[in-house]
Parts: sequence; C-alpha cells; structure tokens
Amino acid sequence: MINDYQTHNCKILKVESESSDSKIFTLSLPYKDFSFEAGQYVMASLPGFGEAPFSINSYFNEKKFIQLTIRKVGVLTSEINKKKKGDIIGIRGPYGNSFPIGIAKGKNVLIVAGGIAIEPVRPIILDAVNNPQKYKKVFIFYGCRDESAMLYVKEYPSWKKACDLNVALDNPKSKKYIKGPVTILFDVVNIPTDSIAYVCGPPIMYKFVLAKMLEKGFRPENIFISLERHMDCAQGVCQHCAIGTKYVCKDGPVFSYAELKDFKTWLSPI
Amino acid sequence: MNKTQFSKFVEYLLKNNNVIAPQYNVEAKLIIAELKKTSDFYMGTELPLDSWKWFLLPPKQKMFDYKGEKMTEALPSVKKQIFLGVSILDMQALTLLNQIFEQDPYYQEIKKNTIIIGTSHMPKDNFSEYFAKFEENKLEHLQFDIFLAVQNGGYKIYTGSEDGQRFLDNFKYKDYKHVEYAGPIREEGLDLQMVSVMDGMQNFHDQKIWDDLGKRCISCGKCTIACPTCFCFRMFDKSHLEQGSGERNRCWDSCFYNEFTQVAGVAPSAPKHRLMATTAQKIYFWYEHHFVRTPGTYSLPGCVECGRCTRACPADIDIFQTQRDILAARNKKKEK
Repeated sequence: MINDYQTHNCKILKVESESSDSKIFTLSLPYKDFSFEAGQYVMASLPGFGEAPFSINSYFNEKKFIQLTIRKVGVLTSEINKKKKGDIIGIRGPYGNSFPIGIAKGKNVLIVAGGIAIEPVRPIILDAVNNPQKYKKVFIFYGCRDESAMLYVKEYPSWKKACDLNVALDNPKSKKYIKGPVTILFDVVNIPTDSIAYVCGPPIMYKFVLAKMLEKGFRPENIFISLERHMDCAQGVCQHCAIGTKYVCKDGPVFSYAELKDFKTWLSPI
Repeated sequence: MNKTQFSKFVEYLLKNNNVIAPQYNVEAKLIIAELKKTSDFYMGTELPLDSWKWFLLPPKQKMFDYKGEKMTEALPSVKKQIFLGVSILDMQALTLLNQIFEQDPYYQEIKKNTIIIGTSHMPKDNFSEYFAKFEENKLEHLQFDIFLAVQNGGYKIYTGSEDGQRFLDNFKYKDYKHVEYAGPIREEGLDLQMVSVMDGMQNFHDQKIWDDLGKRCISCGKCTIACPTCFCFRMFDKSHLEQGSGERNRCWDSCFYNEFTQVAGVAPSAPKHRLMATTAQKIYFWYEHHFVRTPGTYSLPGCVECGRCTRACPADIDIFQTQRDILAARNKKKEK
C-alpha cells in the first residue's frame, strides 16, 4: 500500500544566507515529475529531529529544483540551518491547495506579507517577474521587523521591474523605509480596490490588514489568505490544523476571506 | 444460535485465535483484553471502559526505522485477532475509523488481520435515537464480520463479510443471514440527531455553554483517551543509542494539551504561538470535531453516544447534557 508518510531524499544543491537568521535551501526534486503550484507546501524533515511544513518558494515553472527558505525558530529549523551543500533533507508533498492566480490574469494584484510569510507568495512575485504582461499591475506591501529580517533583498531590483514594491519596517535603521506596521502602506500607496489580493503573515497581522482592506473597499472574495498551522500528517487526519469544518493542511492553506469569515475559529477560536 | 451453541462458538474461536473481548479485571472494572477462557467473557449491556481503538490504532506506533538518511517503512507485525462482543455503538465508531484511516498503511495492516464480531447490546443509559432500537436494515451501513442480534434465549446471526461466513461455515453453523455492506451513509441521509446538534453548533452558537464548560473542564484529556472516535495523533522521532539510527513514531495526541496548536515563535527563544489559549476554546474544538467537522467531512456521526467521555470526566461534564443544551439553545433561538 502506498505510504504517503514516506519521505523522499532531496540533495541540497545550494545554501544562501538570507537575513540574519534564515537561509534559502535549493533542493533537488524529491522525485521525477514533481510539480507544484504557488502556495503549496512540503513536509521537510531530518531523521531524529522530526518534520514540519514549509512553503515552496521557488518559481513553479522551474522544473530542475525547488527552494525552501527556513528561519531558525526551533529544534528542526536550527538543525536544518546547519546543513551544507550536498547534505540531504527528507521531503514529502506537495500538499494543500494553491493561490488561485489564474483569476488575476490581466488584473491588478496586491500582495501583502509580513516577515517570513513572504515565502508562500514569492512564487507569485517570480511569476510576475517572468511574465511582465500577465498581470495589470502588481503591488507588494511587505512589513518586517527591521532591515536584518527582510528576505530576498538581493532580488528587489528584479522585482521592482515588474512590481511596485513597498516596505514598512517596525524599527527601521535607515530612512530608506517607512516606519510602521504594514497597514500604513494602505494610506501611503493609492491601491486599486479591484485588485486580487494574496495575503500571508503572522496571525496578528490579519486582524489589522483585513480591517484596513475592507475599509478601503476590497471584496472578501478577492482576498486570499495563506494560513499557518501546526501540522503532523498533512493529509487531513491528525486534526492539529483544523478550523471549523476544514483542514488547513488539505483544504487550505489558502482560503478566501469570504470562506474564512464564516468560521468562528480561524483567527482565534470562539 | 442458543446460549449453549454460543459458548461452544466462543470456545471454538479461542482454540486457534487471539480473541480480544470485554471482561472484568481484578478491580471489577469491565475492560477489553485478550480472552484466556470462555467463562471470563462478558456479554451484556455494559460498555467496557476503553474502546476498541486501542487495538486498531495503538497509543504509540512505529512508522519508520531510519539509519542515516534512509527511512524504511515499519509496518506493525500483527497476528490475526478477533474482536468479540463489539457493541453496535462501537461498530459505528469502527466504521468511522475505517473511513478516516482508509489510506493509512499502518491502520490497514492491523485491520486486515482483524475479525469483528458485534452485538446489538446497547448501554442502558444511552442517547442514540438511531440505535436505541435494533433493526436488521441498520446493519448494512456498519462494517463487521459477524453480528449477534440479541433475541429470546440466544442470538440471531448475521455475517457482514466472507471472512465471517468462513468462520461460521468452519464451525458448521449454517443458520445465518448475510448482509452486504452498502457504504457508511444511510439511505435516509445524515443521522437526524447529528444534524440537529451540528446545526445548533454552527448556526445557533451560544457562547454561555462554552464559557461554562470552560470553567469546569480541567483540560486533562481523559475524554480524548476514552472516546472511541478520538483519533488525533502527533508524530515524533526517537533516536537510538547507535548514532544516526532511530525511529519515526506517532502517538495519540489530545486537543486539550497546550502544544496541540503550537507553532513556532519568531526565534527559538521567543514564545510559541498557540492558537487555542483558553479551556473554553479547547472544549469547543473537541465538540466541533465530533459534532461539526466529522459529520461535515465524512457524513457520519462523530459521536456514537457511548458516554465514555462522561464516565471518564473528573469534572463531571456530561456529553448528553451538553447536547441537550446545544439543542435547547437552538430551539430557543429558532423560536425568536
């Protein structure tokens, strides 16, 4: 019987330091014909240290490798961060649904991300960079702690060619960036409210960002949110990630706000 | 099958098989354990303390052995076992587990080596409108091998699988009827009682019920262990003394434990994010799993009304009463 818990060994092809505590791991494909869509995730593991879900953040049309950006936040991630080129990481997946990017074709797009949560939306940004004509205009609102926590800084010049990148930092060390939470950008940048929005951030961010977006006139069905949850099985069995009648691991991680607002328990239970 | 024939049948089963059955232990508690002799076997309306999930979904299970980077599947080695005297309520629970773990190689490995012999016995204090009265046509939506319907002076025998038929044929007993499994969902649709409770929770939310339960519940998680349809698990690795080798396991988890929804904080030393902070949230999650999520996902009752959680609860939380409260709040708000 097929065992979906079986990991596939992926060779680390490249390790790049990214921000003060994160690294981008470029991995060989887990198996032939592996493919994924923007917003999907894999379970990555090291024997002896367990498993955890990570968004795939490379471009989905890239067929030679996948990339994961991993921040040192616990036992497994600290251990993965010690790994070097040529080492092995166990991967199973891809799991979950994806950001519906088809519906954004020819339309304005808004990407709102906070801190490390820019990972799951990076494939959309890379899609815009690779296909400048695909979307009307792409806005990125990125909120971060400070300069040292910002991710993918080296790519900003190429992003800026295709996107309108706006960054707000809680504690900026230079005057280059706006000080404040990511919501501040909604008042600084004139954003077309018919945009299709892709949002990912820490739980605290959603409350304020969504309130701001609704206030500006965004429609709940045009806002797509990627949720983070504790996951063990990634197949809708183990119950850790459940919200209402849905499983974030299987029915998500991407939900439209129209879907989510009916759940009493998505942001904080009851 | 009369009582004498039945005793002979139990003896016959015991001769060549590993029979798991309800029996009283030295503390006079009704438990499920390996049956050593026919006279120990308890057959009646009392439900054993624990459920049959202990034998199909063990509390701890090895999933993989690893050496270096190589993960090797470690399926459980099981000898054929017979579950004897499974209450019809527990059969409903097993039917649900079979659905949930249909793609799970570990569960399936044990299940394919298990024969289920059910009975129509119901606990005296029960809350199941559907199973309160046994009717033959209810069997086609339950998964079993042999079923003993209680009738005057003995049992009417049904089979639900070819394995069950073979057992009876080999025992030279012919007086049985076969019931073909028609899938878990009943023709008349979802269980009416389940639909009402689900509707009450989803559309007529009464915060007071949950705040009250939150004050009484001590988050011990005993109900999740006692429940025949609680199955959530977590996975963990265990290293062996020899460097680079060990095993990947899974074990039961409980949504009442703080770590259940824990995700990473911003740094290793930072506080972790926990999505359920209060006991009221945890107990709501537990009820939501049984009365909303499971029926919503599998179209099957997530609670079989066995009352084991009530029996296990040190804070005296009564699941039947909570359902009555949910239904009462629903009726009250509906009237308005």
